[in-house]
Amino acid sequence: MRNFFAKRREMMTGYMFVSPWLIGFLLFMAWPIYFSLNLSFHKVIISSEGIKKTWLGWDNFKYAFLSDPKYLEELLTFIKSVIFMIPIIIVFAMLVALLINQPIRMKGFFRAIFFLPVVITSGQVVKELFAQGAAAAPIVERYGIVQYIQTNMDPSWGEPLLNIINQLIVILWYSGVQILIFLAGLQKVNTQIYEAASIDGASPWEIFWKITLPSIKPFILVNIIYTTVDLFTNSLNDVIELIKVHMFQIDTGFGYATSLAWIYFTVIFVLLLIVVAIFGRNDDYNPRQAGR
Amino acid sequence: MSAFQGSKINPTRFHRTQIKYYLFLILLAVFMILPIIFMFSQALKPLNELFLYPPRFLVENPSFKNFYDLINVTSVTVIPMTRFLFNSIVMTASVVVLSILISAMAGFALSKMQFKSKRAIFEANIIALMFVPASVAIPRYLIVNQLGLTDNMLGHIIPLLALPVGLFLIKQFVDQTPNDLIEAAKIDGAGNFGVFWKIVIPIIRPAMATVAILAFQLAWNNTETSEIYMNKETLRTFAFYMTTLTGTGLENRVAGQGIAAAAALIMFVPNLIIFIFLQSRVIDTMAHSGLK
Repeated sequence: MRNFFAKRREMMTGYMFVSPWLIGFLLFMAWPIYFSLNLSFHKVIISSEGIKKTWLGWDNFKYAFLSDPKYLEELLTFIKSVIFMIPIIIVFAMLVALLINQPIRMKGFFRAIFFLPVVITSGQVVKELFAQGAAAAPIVERYGIVQYIQTNMDPSWGEPLLNIINQLIVILWYSGVQILIFLAGLQKVNTQIYEAASIDGASPWEIFWKITLPSIKPFILVNIIYTTVDLFTNSLNDVIELIKVHMFQIDTGFGYATSLAWIYFTVIFVLLLIVVAIFGRNDDYNPRQAGR
Repeated sequence: MSAFQGSKINPTRFHRTQIKYYLFLILLAVFMILPIIFMFSQALKPLNELFLYPPRFLVENPSFKNFYDLINVTSVTVIPMTRFLFNSIVMTASVVVLSILISAMAGFALSKMQFKSKRAIFEANIIALMFVPASVAIPRYLIVNQLGLTDNMLGHIIPLLALPVGLFLIKQFVDQTPNDLIEAAKIDGAGNFGVFWKIVIPIIRPAMATVAILAFQLAWNNTETSEIYMNKETLRTFAFYMTTLTGTGLENRVAGQGIAAAAALIMFVPNLIIFIFLQSRVIDTMAHSGLK
């Protein structure tokens, strides 16, 4: 009986600790998300008298897929470029993490530099940089890579690739957190294993493929998930821009914008499920601990 | 990789074998810092250099003219700039402090206490991480309006408090706290609050530093609350004010370019300062979060 009361008391304190956060979350995240789902089935007109909703059923979604001149195209272009960007970011992050993990001095300094993008890539700052043209890499244009891609590749895939090249620096910026995650993984590898391997005559190349890579494999999945969410939700991408434009357009309106947002959300969700299904089959991976 | 030294501790002296790592790292580091240099140089460029073709990366005759122009533009408005700055500082400070506290409490409860639906809460939080924030703007406005927070300083603060990333990072970090430590403290007579203040808080400090950086950026760069919830000019924030300066408000777009560059730099510098102060702790968090 006493046990029962102790349990109850713990539950009460638990709720007490969570409640400030929970109230904020329910009011400003959960309910708005639910309400936006509701709005996505309506035509929403915002006027001075308030908000008027007219039930449309699936019309908004039908319109997005069948008649919207831009949305589907933008979405597909974006997904294609994400498919290109994820491997680039992952490989780059792994490379930098391996370099920083080498026995060199000033590790802390380099770690800070590569983490710096986290403050740059938020909101206003990165928009300003784009506007001023700081994000392009002029080197690639000079050596004719652009023309090469234009002549040798199917434009539906060549174009996203060109976009990526144009934003090379930005891509490198989005690897800040990934570098740190890989570093954390690398530092957890027991150094005695390396020692044993080199005594047994393994080359550094073999050590990388047989020891380093398998041991950071779970971190690759974490990084892919992180990168996907990061790319999809950052304020710079064209799809979100389009959703924002529709929000205040008279003929389509907020209801349509929310249905676009829900389609987008579903895409992210499915994409993440696919990623986990492909890379997460391994026994050493536990999705509960992998995080976002 | 020829001189593999993974089994040794950091070298104390510079050695020839390290040169190749430095070469790569410094090259990549320059890429990472380039945009920041660009921002400073852009803000210092006089007008004729801003429109030079082909554009130069670095400023040649640095001048503070853009900053004088900025001050001139701001001195003619009815409300002094310091008012917006004051609003921003109050709002940012409250958001940072309160959101850390709320997330820490919730993270502690979700990680270390037993109560119903705690898994559901955490999963809802992860889903919220993936949602496009712009699409909940109007439902959120409805709530803010209902609560009477429009044209109220609290309207800047309360909607931002339940930060999904914050709870996510902190909860992952509390998970690392050994249960034995908490048990031991309880046997010694500490209550839940005692455990929270004396054991959990010191352990999760690095995670709190990270959340501090994220919350700072969210609040400091936030223009949405000023735009949507505030009708009174005097309640708007510095970030919003900066966007009105560089937006359509200026009749002379050419002169506006220089002012925009100066304003962007002013907005960015606080981000950088916070980063420099907190970065070493943050890096620690990223190394632990979401990972075993």
